[in-house]
Amino acid sequence: MYLIGETEVKSVPDGIAHFLEHKMFEQKSGVNSLDTLTALGVSANAYTTNNYTTYLYEATDNFYEALDEFMDYVQNPYYTDENVEKEKGIIAQEIKMYEDYPEWQVYLNTLKCLYKDFPIRLDIAGSVESIQGITKELLYLCYDNFYTPSNMAIAICGDFEPEEILGEIKKRITNTEKKEVPKRIYPDEQDAVFEKEKCVKMDISNPLFSLGFKDKPAEDPVKRHIAINIILNTIMGKSSKLNKELTDEGLILGPIDFEYEFAENYAFGIISGVSRKPREVIKRIKEELENQKKNGLNEADFIRNKKKLYGSYIIEYNSVEDTARLFLSEYFRGVVGFDYLEKYKEVTKEYAEEILKDLFKEENFAVSIVE
Amino acid sequence: MKEIKQEIKKGITVHQIKTNSFKTDLVAVFLMTKLDRETVTKNAIIPMVLRKGTKSLEDSQEINKKLEEMYGAGFECGIDKTGDNQVLRFYIETLDNAYLPEKEDLLSNVIQLLLEIIFDPKTENNAFKEEYLDSEKEKLKNILEGKKDDKAVYANLRCQEEMYNGTPFGLYKYGYIEDIEGINAKDLYEYYKNLIASCKIDIFVSGNIDEKKVLETISNNENIKKLEEREPNVQKGNAKLIRHEEKEIIEHLEVTQGNLVIGLEINENSKREKYVATVYNAILGGSATSKMFQVVREQHSLAYTAASNFLRHKNSIFIRAGIEIENYEKTVKLIKEQLEDMKSGNFTDEDIENAKTGIISMIKSIPDEQETAVTYYYGQEVGEHKLDFDEYESEINSVTKEEIMDFANKISVNTVYFLRD
Repeated sequence: MYLIGETEVKSVPDGIAHFLEHKMFEQKSGVNSLDTLTALGVSANAYTTNNYTTYLYEATDNFYEALDEFMDYVQNPYYTDENVEKEKGIIAQEIKMYEDYPEWQVYLNTLKCLYKDFPIRLDIAGSVESIQGITKELLYLCYDNFYTPSNMAIAICGDFEPEEILGEIKKRITNTEKKEVPKRIYPDEQDAVFEKEKCVKMDISNPLFSLGFKDKPAEDPVKRHIAINIILNTIMGKSSKLNKELTDEGLILGPIDFEYEFAENYAFGIISGVSRKPREVIKRIKEELENQKKNGLNEADFIRNKKKLYGSYIIEYNSVEDTARLFLSEYFRGVVGFDYLEKYKEVTKEYAEEILKDLFKEENFAVSIVE
Repeated sequence: MKEIKQEIKKGITVHQIKTNSFKTDLVAVFLMTKLDRETVTKNAIIPMVLRKGTKSLEDSQEINKKLEEMYGAGFECGIDKTGDNQVLRFYIETLDNAYLPEKEDLLSNVIQLLLEIIFDPKTENNAFKEEYLDSEKEKLKNILEGKKDDKAVYANLRCQEEMYNGTPFGLYKYGYIEDIEGINAKDLYEYYKNLIASCKIDIFVSGNIDEKKVLETISNNENIKKLEEREPNVQKGNAKLIRHEEKEIIEHLEVTQGNLVIGLEINENSKREKYVATVYNAILGGSATSKMFQVVREQHSLAYTAASNFLRHKNSIFIRAGIEIENYEKTVKLIKEQLEDMKSGNFTDEDIENAKTGIISMIKSIPDEQETAVTYYYGQEVGEHKLDFDEYESEINSVTKEEIMDFANKISVNTVYFLRD
């Protein structure tokens, strides 16, 4: 749901942003822009996250020819009843492909447990049913409201002159109308987790588990993100005591993974792994968190994991594609990537321990299992 | 980007790839040996046991601490098939010395660590440590039991197994559950010593490196010094397929989506044909302008995934599509029509141009990722036909429509595999 101006509330089917992304390549000429870009030898793609849609291409040659096409197609939608209908079959197969991925199911179910009303609990692609309600009129409506210059950003990474490329981009912007960006309406989300556990059965050899924790948007999300990373690495990372014990006892079949996601209006983390006795592992993780809360983090482990994190932040800038993606994603959540390299110095053991005590509490946890 | 190659001992080669495009250096070691039913499971478990501990680092916790100290250097190991050989792969990626907050020679330390993990494992009484082997046996069992977890990967694997049944490539790279029980710490250690004394060893170091120093670090490494010259125990060329007539296999699992994989046999093997095959595959299913994508996905809305890939080392092509189960016959028929169209030349000059542009752009982007570059150079090292970037490009450019049609007529459908509910 979103608000245009002061009063006009619009509601659209689940999965429409992703559907729109698929249809954006369609052109009036009948030639698909993805084909045009592919023919130029550039590799082009698009993806939709919980917060935004990205269109991208990577070129070794023909950069400006590709930029012509790239900026042309994102500024010129062409939807027909026929091409919208046709896409439903393709997207239905994409949704079904994900339904067969146990990793995706365990992840999405964690979000369904953590959130009662907030839309990140929905599948980005919608459902086979919800996409049936998508029409060309609805796509145009979303396009007109959201694909305006003030709601778009472009990130470019490579070997070029910044001033020159900026000029080239400006030349290609045809839509200069200053339009107010519609306000997305989010339901009020309760602080408490919605459901404590979700368990589904799939045809897999070993159960997957995930322990989600619900957080609230922080004042300094970057610093908080770094601290949570260090905490989780120290307590259950590859060199931790817990990891060794669970591995030696045959309780986990690989390392424990963890991630932390945040945007302007939500924040959560997910601890996950593979185990034949997922409930036992979750119990042990919670016990170890309690234990560390009581005794404090080990100084040497803290310092070592901080060092590790420094390396990982630098490595993020290894590929041009990753760097451009990183800057876009951070732009849309209001932070700057380089901040991580500065902020990491400010994270002290005391600061981390405070978060440990405050965030990793039973009331913030929810469990998802696929077995 | 340039590769410098030195055979430091017979059968042991150091490859250095000098590049300043990255913030990291990549060190990779590949051990290659023949794919064989007798040894396939042992080879699969060896990297897993090696990562458990070294002579100086008691267990994996100690190894991980060491890696974290090295600014979170990333260690990975795995197993692969290249042609009729099995490859044990080991990698460490580390921050380049230039990006360290304090001056130190991290790269040399990383090289030493990787060589120690591979060539100086934790042992007890001239055997691998029992408990390490036991835990890894359990993990390998899990990997083998989990073969069906990713349905698309499983379908692809099953199609390959059926097509290459009875030949080395038909073996699963991780081996077989029934072998695990019989592996013991002493015999496996004996086998391991034999393996490192007879396999083909390739060591890659990529990054903004000092070539002279890197070569010295490796040559003077105690573990490398201990290795003898060898005539590597590897398989050159490919075993012939046993079955040539088309076979249909339908397998049932709990799935919501059907996975179709079609294995194509190529009845010719010359150097020139590899380039023609690359262009043929790009037109058939290698990109968004391909027949698979355009016809199967876009025109008929049958699939989200619809593609094909050419296995260079095995000289075969695999087509894959994730489809609605009731559309099986329809999709197979449509794909076979595409194969006929390729034979009769029912594709345009534009299709050929698009295919070539895509391939050349892919060649040009090889240096953009260190792992891709290392994989490319390793492919050159072990492939039957050597070629450099420029030669590759000009060969691709010279492929004609007649050659593609000729080639299409030398292809036959070998296996049609369908995974359904």
